[in-house]
Amino acid sequence: MGFDLHFALSTIPTIIGAIGATLLATILSCLGASALGFTFEMIRRGGGASGLAVRFLIDFIRSTPVLAWLYFLYFVLPFYGIRLGAMTVGILGLSLYYSGYLAEVFKAGIDAIPKGQQEAARALSLTRRDTIVFVIAPQMLRNIAAPLGNYFVSILKATPYLAVLAVPEMLGRAFDIASETYRYAEPLTVAGILFLALALIVAYGVKRIEQRLLATGRR
Amino acid sequence: MSMFEIWLGILQGLGITAQVTAYALVFAVPFALVLGVAQFLATGPTRFLVTAVIEFWRSSAVVVLLFVFYYVLPVMGITLSALTVSALVLGLNIGGYASQAVRAGLQSLPAGQREAGMALGLSRPTILLLIELPQALVAMSPTFVNNLIQLVKATSLVSLVTLTDMTFRAKEIAQTDYDPVAIYSALLLAFFVVCYPIALAGRWLEARVHPEKGTARGI
Repeated sequence: MGFDLHFALSTIPTIIGAIGATLLATILSCLGASALGFTFEMIRRGGGASGLAVRFLIDFIRSTPVLAWLYFLYFVLPFYGIRLGAMTVGILGLSLYYSGYLAEVFKAGIDAIPKGQQEAARALSLTRRDTIVFVIAPQMLRNIAAPLGNYFVSILKATPYLAVLAVPEMLGRAFDIASETYRYAEPLTVAGILFLALALIVAYGVKRIEQRLLATGRR
Repeated sequence: MSMFEIWLGILQGLGITAQVTAYALVFAVPFALVLGVAQFLATGPTRFLVTAVIEFWRSSAVVVLLFVFYYVLPVMGITLSALTVSALVLGLNIGGYASQAVRAGLQSLPAGQREAGMALGLSRPTILLLIELPQALVAMSPTFVNNLIQLVKATSLVSLVTLTDMTFRAKEIAQTDYDPVAIYSALLLAFFVVCYPIALAGRWLEARVHPEKGTARGI
């Protein structure tokens, strides 16, 4: 039983057909992780008891595997009567896991903004919210374009974890073919090549966007 | 089972988790050193080839890579144990990441270091081994610690290829006891107990190696 190239090629359309689920999971997880990560960082900066709790939560998330988080959400939420689809749970899991990393990215981006910016905002008596939205966030975004883009690519590469929860993304679809045909090598190789190609394309795209962002924002 | 018994049950998988980590390092460390140095020194087509190998291992999704190698190698007539395949894939994946730290560490050294070595009449390999590498590796040591944490967390994947690590134990216990909250909290806690001390060691190292990088605080 060697590697059947013809069979491998025949699985390509089916696996590519699941690219929509892969991209949807990627985009929503990137948005979720960014929103959650930024919120975490703001709470952490605020200090106090909640700041301390979030600081610990971020450390905890960063010390635990994404697979364990996916299982945790997938099995624990129904226990409390919260029934969500596997895709939703997967996106929640990836968002939560990567928020721990993005919070650190946001921290570095904010720390790199000259202190005078905040002092100037206070001198103009801007509220804390306005300071964040109009002074800090735009400058931070330029500082963190590169690491943020890298984490977005990481999130794309983490979406095949969702196959474990039976989400029909590309790896999940490859496993469907494998269990129907009892041939694993071909569909998985195809999935492997497609994920590599997708990751390289997205990484290239992210780099281009990042360069444009940096070019137009240069002072 | 009480929470404590569940936790002890999960910790029975710690041996496999540690074994996979150690075995993976056997692949990761030489890979990172050799390819990192090669990418630093090589020019032209050789550099392209080295970069291609590194990019294959770090741009592929590690979940997919593990399954591809687990199912494809036997078809190619190469039968390796699940432990060896896991160590190979996880090791070379994390080694690919670490190789970038090795290269970046070497590139960030001032040219004067190499020039001073040449002025002393040292050969290129001697300069690399005695002058450049020691400084680069020390400077990048916090990154290597982060890579190690990533590796430990990635070992949770081996539960998907039949190895009885901590994640596998948790799923095993979940089959006999319906107590998802306790089981999956205990799994997260087990990883936290292993990874957090490594993270703290990394922070200590960071403070030793780069004392000039103070943490600024604002908002």
